[in-house]
Amino acid sequence: MAVFDTPEEAFGALRPVCVQLTKAQTVENVEHLQTRLQRVSDSALQELQQYVLFPLRFTLKTPGPKRERLIQSVVECLTFILSSTCVREQELLQELFSELSACLYSPSSQKPAAVSEELKLAVIQGLSTLMHSAYGDIILTFYEPSILPRLGFAVSLLLGLAEQEKSKQVKIAALNCLQVLLFQCECQDHPRSLDELEQKQLGDLFASFLPGISTTMTRVITGDFKQGHSIVVSSLKIFYKTVGFIMADEQLRAIPKVQAKPAVEHRVAELMVHREADWVKSTGEKLTILIKKIIECVSAHPHWKVRLELAELVEALLLKCSQSLVESAGPLLKALVGLANDESPEVQAQCNKVLRCFAERKVVMGNRAFADILSESLHSLATSLPRLMNSQDDQGKFSTLSLFLGYLKLLGPKVNFVLNSGAHLQRLSKALIQVLELDVTDIKIVEERRWHPDDLSASPKTSATQPWNQIQRRYFRFFTDERVFLLLRQVCQLLGYYGNLYLLVDHFMELYHESVVYRKQAAMVLNELVAGAAGLEGEDLHEERVETSKEELREIVTSVLEEYTSQENWYLVTCIEAEEMEEERMLKESGLQAITSGAHACQVPSFPAFSKPSPTICSMNSNIWQICIQLEGIGQFARALGKDFRLLLMSALYPVLEKAGDQTLLISQAATSTMVEIGQACGYDSLRHLINQNSDYLVNGISLNLRHLALHPHTTKVLEVMLRNSDASLLPLVADVVQDILSTLDQFYDKRAASFVSVLHALLAALAQWFPDTGSPGQSQERRSGAEERGHLHTAPAVVESSTTAEDIERFLLDYLKEKDVADGNVSDLDNDEEDQSAPPKVDENDSRPDVEPPLPVQIQIATDVMERCIHLLSDKNLKIRLKVLDVLDLCVLVLQPHKNQLLPLAHRTWPSLVHRLTNDDPLAVLRAFKVLRTLGGSCGDFLRSRFCKDVLPKLAGSLVTQAPVSARAGPVYSHTLAFKLQLAVLQGLGPLCERLDLGEGDLNKVADACLIYLSAKQPMKLQEAARSVFLHLMKVDPDSTWFLLNELYCPVPFTPPHCSLHPVQLWGATGQPNVYTANVLHLLQELPGPLLPRYCGWAGPALAEGSGSCREGCKGGVDNRSML
Amino acid sequence: MAAPGHPPPPPDPQFVLRGTQAAVHALHFHGADEVQGHPLLFSGCQSGLVHIWSLRTRRPEAILDGHGGQCVTWLHTLPQGHQLLSQGRDLRLCLWSLAEGRNAVVDSVPLESVGFCRSSVLAGEQPRWTLAVPGQGSDEVRILEMPSKTSVCTLKPEQGAKLGMPMCLRLQQADSSPRPLLLAGYEDGSVALWDVSERKVCSRIACHEEPVMGLDFDPQRARGVSGSAGKALAVWSVDGQQALQVCRTHPLTNPGIADLALRPDRRLLATAGWDHRVRVFHWRTMKPLAVLAFHSATVNCVAFASNGLLAAGSKDQRISVWSLYPCT
Repeated sequence: MAVFDTPEEAFGALRPVCVQLTKAQTVENVEHLQTRLQRVSDSALQELQQYVLFPLRFTLKTPGPKRERLIQSVVECLTFILSSTCVREQELLQELFSELSACLYSPSSQKPAAVSEELKLAVIQGLSTLMHSAYGDIILTFYEPSILPRLGFAVSLLLGLAEQEKSKQVKIAALNCLQVLLFQCECQDHPRSLDELEQKQLGDLFASFLPGISTTMTRVITGDFKQGHSIVVSSLKIFYKTVGFIMADEQLRAIPKVQAKPAVEHRVAELMVHREADWVKSTGEKLTILIKKIIECVSAHPHWKVRLELAELVEALLLKCSQSLVESAGPLLKALVGLANDESPEVQAQCNKVLRCFAERKVVMGNRAFADILSESLHSLATSLPRLMNSQDDQGKFSTLSLFLGYLKLLGPKVNFVLNSGAHLQRLSKALIQVLELDVTDIKIVEERRWHPDDLSASPKTSATQPWNQIQRRYFRFFTDERVFLLLRQVCQLLGYYGNLYLLVDHFMELYHESVVYRKQAAMVLNELVAGAAGLEGEDLHEERVETSKEELREIVTSVLEEYTSQENWYLVTCIEAEEMEEERMLKESGLQAITSGAHACQVPSFPAFSKPSPTICSMNSNIWQICIQLEGIGQFARALGKDFRLLLMSALYPVLEKAGDQTLLISQAATSTMVEIGQACGYDSLRHLINQNSDYLVNGISLNLRHLALHPHTTKVLEVMLRNSDASLLPLVADVVQDILSTLDQFYDKRAASFVSVLHALLAALAQWFPDTGSPGQSQERRSGAEERGHLHTAPAVVESSTTAEDIERFLLDYLKEKDVADGNVSDLDNDEEDQSAPPKVDENDSRPDVEPPLPVQIQIATDVMERCIHLLSDKNLKIRLKVLDVLDLCVLVLQPHKNQLLPLAHRTWPSLVHRLTNDDPLAVLRAFKVLRTLGGSCGDFLRSRFCKDVLPKLAGSLVTQAPVSARAGPVYSHTLAFKLQLAVLQGLGPLCERLDLGEGDLNKVADACLIYLSAKQPMKLQEAARSVFLHLMKVDPDSTWFLLNELYCPVPFTPPHCSLHPVQLWGATGQPNVYTANVLHLLQELPGPLLPRYCGWAGPALAEGSGSCREGCKGGVDNRSML
Repeated sequence: MAAPGHPPPPPDPQFVLRGTQAAVHALHFHGADEVQGHPLLFSGCQSGLVHIWSLRTRRPEAILDGHGGQCVTWLHTLPQGHQLLSQGRDLRLCLWSLAEGRNAVVDSVPLESVGFCRSSVLAGEQPRWTLAVPGQGSDEVRILEMPSKTSVCTLKPEQGAKLGMPMCLRLQQADSSPRPLLLAGYEDGSVALWDVSERKVCSRIACHEEPVMGLDFDPQRARGVSGSAGKALAVWSVDGQQALQVCRTHPLTNPGIADLALRPDRRLLATAGWDHRVRVFHWRTMKPLAVLAFHSATVNCVAFASNGLLAAGSKDQRISVWSLYPCT
């Protein structure tokens, strides 16, 4: 399409249509013009602007009724022209403005004409375009007082449209146009900003419209929710822009007292408003009503963009009109603060931005009036807080607390004005205490138990990885929403941050003391106060906070800590106290049978012997929570003080460690995470490090508390925990405490033996671990020799096997005879075994005079002392203690191994008691006693062997033999009997012991004979297994005789001699008939290491075979044949 | 739990210092640490080490090793400067400078007696101070002027007095006269008052039957107290003519006092007993107030801090610190 670039061309093209239009004003002609216009370039059109406009304006101005359609097209055409040109003459601007406005006015009804929506839209568009097309300063000269009536007319028209029009499109267009008219257009076409004077002039002008605009906008905003959010958003924008412009403090300050006479005619002057103080005041009051209405309606608006706009409104008004709208500040701030915790992140972010901006510009703090208003709001909120907390639901509580939090944030350090009023502090604390009340009816809290004391050393590791919050969830009586709790914490932290910490801590400490009912809540608040005082996680809005110095904070923490850990607040009843004792007694009463792994299951919930009034579950729960809260507090204190907390460790660490060993799960968890927290705060790498580095403080607490064991029954637990988590460097420190413990044990051995024994166990376990027996000849040597033996067994046969000739056999036989001779001769040469064995103890007894020897290492001294106690405790009535003592004894032996001079006399003294455990006690004790014997065997084998064979073995073997028929006949219930358990224990214990003690052949035979019966398939499966294990051990000691013995029972393969000159071997078991032993024997024979050739045993030739199986020695020759198996 | 009406449980130490790893033989408090208001505690032990304990952290701040593994028997700090005197059985009396974190021996005085007799210092604000140490002869006491180490005199009892070795010394200066006096307890159980400048015994009383192990003097009341290996404490006074007089004796349950000390406010007397116990008396009336049972071996030394804390060091390698009847 051709474009008319030059005005001449354009003129040529446009002239006919313009003339046409002037002549006949029809829609077609207008459209004709418009199509032509589209082909005219902007510059050309600018030249011809007046010319082209003429026919259009003429059409509008022609008196008489006109068709709407025509007007609409004329307006649209006009709009088109204006959008591509600019208006350079003020006259033209004014005239066009009036002409366009008039289109919507029906003179008859004094109201916006009842015209079609399209026309309205076109006109509004036209007006908007017109204002945009005004060139440069023209627009400013347009806004002079004389225009007031015309402008007012347009404004009221638009307001009317915005309010009453049904079409959303028209409404929005009207609102946008209004914005343009009021000089608030946001488009890019107005680069120039107004200077102060111009602003003031405009303000004076617009002030006349303020009542109309503000009320209408308020009506629109508070209108139907369904009208769509964009309308509300635009209305809000117009409202705050207008109000913010007209009521701007900056402008109002420059307003003179007396109104200058405006150079306009009287009628117009009357319309003008003079914005002096009185006007400002009364307008402010009226606006406050509107603002309150708007806030009330909009802060709960479902669409977030509306709420976002509200935040903008607050920002604009508070920033620009903080003085003129001082009365609205309260509601405005409230709205903002309320929105700060809005569910929409955009709104939240905006609010926080605004709050920060306020703080930066000191809007609140720099403005006394604002601060007063905030204080007042906080006052009144604090007053009503208890009531609100009582009556509101979770959501209500949430918004109330959000509001409260916002006030605190805004007020910052000035919050002290409120806190300094006793009545208000009272109210505030009452509300906090009330809402923080915990629900203590849950029975699980008391029930959950940490049953295994050994878990502690492991648990820190597992829980260290968990974040704090995960561990303990609290249940509150008055709310369930976790967010409410978070808010409460924040409130308390902010109070601690800005408030006078001394005052607050004092106050809540008083409440803490006042009643048990308040104690937990007060402690929670105190914890958060301190955490807050140390600094906030979030951002700080104020710079001039009076910071609590590290010193002061530490002082405060010290006093709170002292209170928390004082006797009456720390040692609360959390379980039925007699429980432990009761448990012990029950075990005693029920005797041997009661010991099962599920000992705790048999706890009877009711204690008939219970004399004291039982604490209720609720009170115990409450106590548990209190301890947890206090523990958590200690953790928070540590975090607050950081490395400074190290100085408090001397008083804090001990109580925490004590609770870490508590039976109640919640408490021990809380204590453990507190320890983790302390460790992190004080810069220790691990819990172990923490405990290790501060063991001196702990030892101090332990040794002092040991003096009052009745008051501090858990003292021993702390030592246990310490021992488990420390290393050898601890020993010099604890040495004296160990002595204290031993002497206390001597005092109380009848009452508190259990707890002491477990400490001793921990102690010895630690010693055994810290001082591993490196140079012990016992175990390692023995193992080595065992290995050699087996190695020998494996290699030797290869020589013989290669070729079995008659010579080989002859040589073998001769060797055997020679060896046999030597063996016989040896017996007479060497000392009697018996003497040999009994000798060392005698010598040792003489040696054990400590005064002549150099001082023993501390750990040896301790182990000796402990073993001494074990001798007495071994015969304790309580099985549990006996078992533990056997374990301790085992460890003692282990530690003492390198010091035979100490060990042997003690072992000698322990022996009688130990024999009792082996032969006359519960199966569990028997097993442990075997274990002790095994350990003993490692270091004093000789001493033990003879004793064992003399005192113990006959009894055990005898009982095994007599019990065998019983168990063989028994039914499935038998495995639950004591007899079965004893059999099992003996069988399980015998094997390893025989191996360890290196028993002589005769004794081995005793063992083998006794156990053989249990290989029968008639025996219970478990006993068979145990018996098999005995033989497996015997095989290691004497494989040949074991092999023979087994073959005697059942011989799977007949043996043929390697040489024809030899008699075939006849073994008792070689009947080929499977018998009751077959399965087990086969099983065992498979386990026997490869082909065997014993060192001394001979070929089972006819010369030697004195009988077929009645004498074992004669038949050992079968061994060689096994190579053919 | 103690039912109401029962006597309160026996007092506990406020805390116990561990880690000397040897029997503790000397204790001395030094003023108050300016910053924290906690005094420092010096302890000397059998193994020849001097531990400087911070009572704020309850841990040793520094360990001084200057006596070649020989027992440290006496510790004292000088009023001016951070200077510490330590007497060891290696026959050396060391002067340590502790200022600005230094821990170095700046001077030492050779001793001539291997006994357990503790030295004594008379120091005022002047740079010069007087030191009394056991002398070369078994019954002599040497007086030195410090820091020049010039020997002032040797105090030797007159011939035939047979006092035995000096066991404890105490230099004293009356407010009225500039002449220093020396109180000395002897092996034969007598306490003698020497006029140092005239080198003669002013007065002497035989108040114990066993060697005198420790003494302390209250210049305000002009009264002193001494303890011995025997079963009694003796309280004596010095009158205007410098004459000693036994006021009273106080019997003890168990014999043997290793050391005794008066609290700086002159209200309490504490004794270190061989019976592992520290006993506390009201100084004016000598009324027994408390028996502090904590240690498991002989208590070798006691010391009071200016703020009233009491420390006791024992053969069991522990130092117990007690807070008793607060100072008024």
